[in-house]
Amino acid sequence: MRILVCVKRVPLTGGKIVLTEDAQAIETRHLGFTISPHEECGVEEAVRLIEASGGESVVLTLGPPEAVEQLRDAMALGIDRAVHLVSDVEEWDPQATAGAIVEAIRADEAANGPFDLVFFGNESADAGNYQVGIRVAYALGRPVVTGLKGVAVEGDVVRCEQEVSGGRDVYVLPLPAVVTVLEGLNLPRYPSVPAKLRAQRKPVEASSPTRPSSKLEKVRLVVPEGQGKEAVILGHGPEAAPAVVEMLQQIGVV
Amino acid sequence: MVLVYVEEPSELGQQALAFARELGGPVHAFTADVTAPVEGVETLYVAEGDAFASYAPAAIAQALVELVERLSPAAVVAAGTERGNEVLAHVAAKLDLPFSANCVAATTGDPFLVTRVRWGGSLLEEAHLHGNVKLLTVQPHVVAAEERAGEPAVERFTPALSEADLVVRVVERVPAAAGGVSLAEAKVVVSCGRGAGSPEGFGIIEELAGLLGGAVGCSRAVTMAGWRPHTDQVGQTGTKIAPDIYIACGISGATQHMAGCKGAKAILAVNTDPEAPILASADYAAIGDLHEVVPAISAEIRKAQAQKAGRG
Amino acid sequence: MRAGKPVARASDLPARVRNEATIVLGQRKLLQRLVPGLMHAFIFWGFLVLFPTIFMAIVGIVDREPSLPSGSPLGWLESQGWYALMVDAFVVLVLAGVATAFWIRKVQRPPRFDGSHLREADLILVLIVGIVTTLVLWHASLIALGLNPWPADWSPVSDAVSNIFGTGTTTDVLERFFVWAHVLLVLGFLAYLPHSKHLHIATAAINVFFGSTRARGRLEPLDFEAEDEAALRFGAGTVADLTWKQMLDSMSCTECGRCQDVCPAYATGKALSPKLLIMGIRDHLLAEGPTALAGGELSALVPNAVTDDVVWDCVTCGACVHECPVSIEHVDHIVDLRRHLVMVESRLPAETETMLRDVERGSNPWGKPQTERASWAEGLGVRILEPGDPAPEVLYWVGCAAAFDERARTAAISTTKLLLAAGIDVGILGPRESCTGDPARRAGNEYVFQSFAQANVTTLNDASVTKIVASCPHCFNTLANEYPDFGGRYEVLHHSELLAELVRDGRLSPAAGDTTITYHDSCYLARHNDVLEAPRELVSRIGKPLEMARSGKQTFCCGAGGAHMWMEERGSQINEERAREAAATGAETLAVACPFCTVMLDDGVRQTGGTMRVADVSTLLAEAIAHGETDSESG
Repeated sequence: MRILVCVKRVPLTGGKIVLTEDAQAIETRHLGFTISPHEECGVEEAVRLIEASGGESVVLTLGPPEAVEQLRDAMALGIDRAVHLVSDVEEWDPQATAGAIVEAIRADEAANGPFDLVFFGNESADAGNYQVGIRVAYALGRPVVTGLKGVAVEGDVVRCEQEVSGGRDVYVLPLPAVVTVLEGLNLPRYPSVPAKLRAQRKPVEASSPTRPSSKLEKVRLVVPEGQGKEAVILGHGPEAAPAVVEMLQQIGVV
Repeated sequence: MVLVYVEEPSELGQQALAFARELGGPVHAFTADVTAPVEGVETLYVAEGDAFASYAPAAIAQALVELVERLSPAAVVAAGTERGNEVLAHVAAKLDLPFSANCVAATTGDPFLVTRVRWGGSLLEEAHLHGNVKLLTVQPHVVAAEERAGEPAVERFTPALSEADLVVRVVERVPAAAGGVSLAEAKVVVSCGRGAGSPEGFGIIEELAGLLGGAVGCSRAVTMAGWRPHTDQVGQTGTKIAPDIYIACGISGATQHMAGCKGAKAILAVNTDPEAPILASADYAAIGDLHEVVPAISAEIRKAQAQKAGRG
Repeated sequence: MRAGKPVARASDLPARVRNEATIVLGQRKLLQRLVPGLMHAFIFWGFLVLFPTIFMAIVGIVDREPSLPSGSPLGWLESQGWYALMVDAFVVLVLAGVATAFWIRKVQRPPRFDGSHLREADLILVLIVGIVTTLVLWHASLIALGLNPWPADWSPVSDAVSNIFGTGTTTDVLERFFVWAHVLLVLGFLAYLPHSKHLHIATAAINVFFGSTRARGRLEPLDFEAEDEAALRFGAGTVADLTWKQMLDSMSCTECGRCQDVCPAYATGKALSPKLLIMGIRDHLLAEGPTALAGGELSALVPNAVTDDVVWDCVTCGACVHECPVSIEHVDHIVDLRRHLVMVESRLPAETETMLRDVERGSNPWGKPQTERASWAEGLGVRILEPGDPAPEVLYWVGCAAAFDERARTAAISTTKLLLAAGIDVGILGPRESCTGDPARRAGNEYVFQSFAQANVTTLNDASVTKIVASCPHCFNTLANEYPDFGGRYEVLHHSELLAELVRDGRLSPAAGDTTITYHDSCYLARHNDVLEAPRELVSRIGKPLEMARSGKQTFCCGAGGAHMWMEERGSQINEERAREAAATGAETLAVACPFCTVMLDDGVRQTGGTMRVADVSTLLAEAIAHGETDSESG
């Protein structure tokens, strides 16, 4: 079996987000980076599937030169080799991203045979576009199912489970297929140091595709008001209850 | 005109409709759910056929594509739910159009100027959305739903579907195992510290969590005291949670604890001390004794739910 | 030991000789406990004194006449009255020592012997009694026969005993019997030695000689640069991964249990006993040593020699190492076992994994946003160094705890205010400061530690930092003792040291107060780094000091060391035990000098229902100075 996992390098935010001066990106000078969490579970799942069935796992990213760190992280978890589509500093819109990935997949499949499964994260932690996996699936003419918390290969089909209110919805897709997964699909392993050191020596195929013009074109980023502000006092004592419930309704939990 | 995909009868569908009306022009709706009661739109298009007996995103998307080609709307709008985003992404892929997920605002024109959320809401992006039909979904709970009466014209149609559109469909629904919501996955977590006073003190916490369909958490001090099992502990050395709202009652906000709830989208602190460290991380606070405040909130929720039930 | 991995223990010869002289000859560590110490010292010194008599007795077997040429050193010695006196005196002292030993073992029965091989020790004691008794009887019979080469009145004991013997054939036969019995017992003793824990007589002296002469808080770095696949093994997985020093450690253990007695994990009912840890490794080594030499398949040390719990219970407080009379380095064993579990097997407690991931990704063990590292310093006016800024006189290394933990922040704010008030040009690195890597290193992830060590050393060197003050003893230890291995050489002070200096110089003038204060020594300050006086100096300037039962180098851990700040403690709590001990002094305030101690002991006081205030010495000093100022204003 051959499995591809597409990952994205994202910064670890958590505090107050600070933007660069041109408001085009997050100031990441003091931030760490990671594989977007959903995709990390995709990596783990791919490694487990290949460990069980044999074959080859490949990780692919479209990202800046530094994204090679995330490819190495994926290989430390057990992925066999990596493909790096090196981008410039500009952000690629979802259509452009999907296009570049499709081309890379076609090239790899021409050389090494088809991928039975292609994993994506349901959405990236930073941009949250919810569409790259689906676009790639259509371009390749393969079925796609999203938001999975269960992936099991059974012969030439893949049984997929989605968490919905009241239970789990099950899909059964013929292979080859594209799946997008959610954090919680599994618990990614803690990579061993020998695995990390071996990952440093595994091959990374790099190429630099050209970015087409954006059709979802970022103008600027804005930090929403209220960030880093003091807590809103909803009231004192039992009199606070109506305001609390109003807030809970806004959030959508009542 | 604007075409709105209504997934199912829900508050979020109403929000998407309200957002669409703001864009201007006539609003039409499409659904594949025969029970979706959509009011306040010109025409409601209902897709029919065996293909829609269970959720099949590509089939729904193909029905939308058929309507888009027939009606040439300026925009297609859906709620920014998992399935709303999924269906519109299918439409976008089928038509090779750009698609902007989870918008909070949009200004019409060509292109549209949209404001959409990133980082789950911690950041906004202003972007130009191109394409001859603008595809976008609406971030939940940023637009107020409005009740708009008026029976729409209903048009039922059976879209032409290819075999590929039917490959991906829900074939089975496995019911959730009984036994409540797991702490790590709960959308609502209500937790309490030693301020509960005793294991029995968690009664009011359990009640509130139950009303909100959430899970009960606790601080380390509580598990140390043996009042709750360690599986309930939120924190660095307990469970890391990521609910939509974390209601922390009588929790001071020790670093160890806060490390476990940093994934929460919002935090409501119920605390007697307005200077408690948790206030620095909380989004909302109710100042007061949790033994008074928590039952009052529960009572208020019951009232709200009774009202809603009465109205429905 | 031929199978052991290399470890450099050949340098620092003068220090090694000094250790040999004080720890072995001077019995320094044993004498930390008076009665058992003297007991052992008498027996040990006795054997040194009596050693030549073994050879005298062997010669005596061959020929009972004083046949050693008086020109030979042995013959000369045998004829000396003062030596005869010493022999008699030490025979008595050895017997007294053995009696004490029996009393300790049979009557007192201290719990430190739990799990030790007691029968073996009894046999050894009986042998010793036999050896010295036969020696006296032999000497006495010689005197009775008039064959003593030494003046009889110099050996009062033997002389007195000789009165029971006649001068006839019976004594003749008895003399033969005693000398043979003596020599046979000695030989028996020597033959039994290698099979018992009393091998320590041979190994301990060697182990002490090769004991670490480097800073006590420092761990040996590993090499991650090696290219070949075989080198991708880290820490101790099987006996083949032990260094020769670790093997010698296990062979030197006397099972005396002093380590177990002082271990906070053991004291609170955890699985770990440092003694049983070393014994477990020794037994496993003896079982698998031959296989290791033959290059055969070896079983894992964990869980076969010791269980996972044992490995993770350690707080690396170093009390065991400090106490051990034969210089066993328990903490290094623990860390090497952890290194293998974490780095090779990825087998570690879930909370520790979370902490390590947070360090790796977020540069601090709580996973807090690095951008908020300096938010505590807002409005204080302390310089936050940007690249290219001039180096400050003193760089304040804040540490993650003081930067992010609400309770620990107070100390960072107090320290900064005090340094600025004293006119010190102080700067902080703000978001450019990262975890020193200490918790990762103590949790066994040397790889993560080294990447942080290298990055921090680069930052510090690029900023031309020469002098650092740290308020976290763990950071302090790592910066001072471990960063030199990575090219970071700075003058590193703990904040208590710098503040005490400023008070001494009159640059800070606190008002004296009446509050009773008991000071809790942090392990990484007191035991690992000898910082004992500076915090006490501050405490005595601002309040009335009271000492806890265990203080100074004998301090009892708060429970947070060795990455335990981020671990779930099983069973009863170390911090509660310490909080009770502090409360027993009756002091109003519990002064600390470590952010982890602050949090742990504050929790401990609350959990035990106490009312004692827990505060960092810097906070207490800042308050005393504020008081002083109000006093002088109102005055």
